Amino acid sequence: MVQSLPMSQPPLIDEELAAFLCGPVSIYVASRAAGNLPVLVRASGCRIAPDRRRATLFLARSKSESVIGAVRAARVVAAVFTLPSSHRSVQLKGTDAEVGAPAAGDFEMVARYVEAFAREIDPLGYRAEMGRALLSLDAADLVALGFTPSAAFTQTPGPGAGAPLRAAAP
Amino acid sequence: MITVDSIRDCLEGSVPATVATCAADGTPNVSQVSQVHYVDGGHVALSFQFFNKTRENVLANPRAAVAVIDPGTAAQYRLALEYLRTETEGPLFERMKAKLAGIASHSGMSGVFRLRGADVYRVLAIERLPGREIPPPVPKKSLLAALRAASERLMRCTEFGKLLDELLACLDEAFGIGHAMVLVPDGAGTRLYTVASRGYAASGVGSEIPMGCGVIGVAARERTPIRISHMTSDYAYGQAIRERAAEQGMADRLETMIPLPGLPDSRSQLAVPVSADGRLLGVLYVESAEEMRFGYDEEDALVALATQTGMVARLLQEAAESHDEPPAAAARAAPPGGAPVTIRHYAADGSVFIGDDYLIKGVAGAIFCKLLRDYAGAQRTEFTNRELRLDPTIRLPDLSDNLEARLILLARRLAERCEFLKIEKTGRGRFRLAVARPFRLVEIPA
Repeated sequence: MVQSLPMSQPPLIDEELAAFLCGPVSIYVASRAAGNLPVLVRASGCRIAPDRRRATLFLARSKSESVIGAVRAARVVAAVFTLPSSHRSVQLKGTDAEVGAPAAGDFEMVARYVEAFAREIDPLGYRAEMGRALLSLDAADLVALGFTPSAAFTQTPGPGAGAPLRAAAP
Repeated sequence: MITVDSIRDCLEGSVPATVATCAADGTPNVSQVSQVHYVDGGHVALSFQFFNKTRENVLANPRAAVAVIDPGTAAQYRLALEYLRTETEGPLFERMKAKLAGIASHSGMSGVFRLRGADVYRVLAIERLPGREIPPPVPKKSLLAALRAASERLMRCTEFGKLLDELLACLDEAFGIGHAMVLVPDGAGTRLYTVASRGYAASGVGSEIPMGCGVIGVAARERTPIRISHMTSDYAYGQAIRERAAEQGMADRLETMIPLPGLPDSRSQLAVPVSADGRLLGVLYVESAEEMRFGYDEEDALVALATQTGMVARLLQEAAESHDEPPAAAARAAPPGGAPVTIRHYAADGSVFIGDDYLIKGVAGAIFCKLLRDYAGAQRTEFTNRELRLDPTIRLPDLSDNLEARLILLARRLAERCEFLKIEKTGRGRFRLAVARPFRLVEIPA
């Protein structure tokens, strides 16, 4: 299992990737429940810390019971970010995930993300209303799942899918 | 309880699905998957396109979780799955391969998406997530009402040609499917020829496609419905037919002399085999310029309709050939006047030309020449299906050959291409050759 990067290493996420992760991408996060069972849920946006060493995903608590339970027990996560218009897809993994209350400004960030995503899928033949229905959530329902990305992989469909974006330094 | 059947709209591939798995060491993995395909009430199949972590994981730990979305309502579902096996050929594989070609083309991924296998999973549980939903865009037409109306009309058909025309009329009038055709296999089972069509500028009756070519040819070869929801060149006919013809000799260049009917901007295609007694009688093909026109429900309705068509066809075929009384010794009408037209029959491939115009080839060509010979020699105009089946000069491929389909093909080609020769049904398993101008039959040996 990949360990968290020591602080002396540069962050796994560069500025360009950070912008991609926070853009109008489709996000799913998975974890491991008891019995080595996979669980997953859709996230409604992502925040990357200023030092780019921590990613925070926004979840609807009402849909995420199994994922929250699994993360609390095992702390492992995998999250896939896909831009619908280009199919560019990146997966991040982490082993120190935590679920907590959202920070100030997170709910507004979710609202901006939902609108950006609705605009992204509209020209692709999906109704913007569909994106809003999928992703919007109530402030009271919002939880934040934070983790240190310890490995990143390109998942864009094609022969290069699954290749590490950058190997974690030993 | 939510069943796989109740969420089939989520399994059309119009919104990508996402799959999560866990490695043996417990590391989760999550990835988009192009296709989660409906197999039956208890199973789905995921498209296996690349050797990736998802695949490595399910081979080590067979459990997977999949998130799917209803494209009409935005309802979200989570499926708990257990991997069972991978199929790399056969009906399920071909259904998914065709559908994936449409999805790939629609999403700009032609050439990237290629199906390596259909990964079959048992569905252990389905969970509907709470959340906002939107009303579906357009209420669906009642397919059951259409099926009932069509079913009643088909049961009233007493003749194979009428049955085919009625089937196509029902699709148009009851289902709102205006572009359709029926193809039947030739005796050797290497080709299919068009015997009826509706909604095209030219009927294309007599046009041929090789077995295995396009959605029609794959549906015939695999005996399974093949459906595409977006325009794709992977299943286009034109080039495949030309290539096949180029590989072969003169006989097969004739294949391309009658163009296959079809919409130039076909975006949705569905081909359904018509069978009876385990034998392929033909393929019903429908298409539309609209994307996503045919879903799982339309496929089910057309399979039911094709099943009934097969049963009625079988009954009519039996009835037509059980009549063994000799044809009525009707006196031949006075010979027609005018200058004789030369009709040439090439023994090499059975092709027939009226003047310089190609009419037909193969078994239908041989039947036509027998009728002309009997007309010229024995002064006969009345014939039965039964005598054709017994005639050694026709060489029907086997006893179960759909002779009626060949007669319909011949009658329709004559109706389209010849003003002075006509085949008219006179009763069950009986017909008349009507001649309005003298002709000279020239037989050209191989």
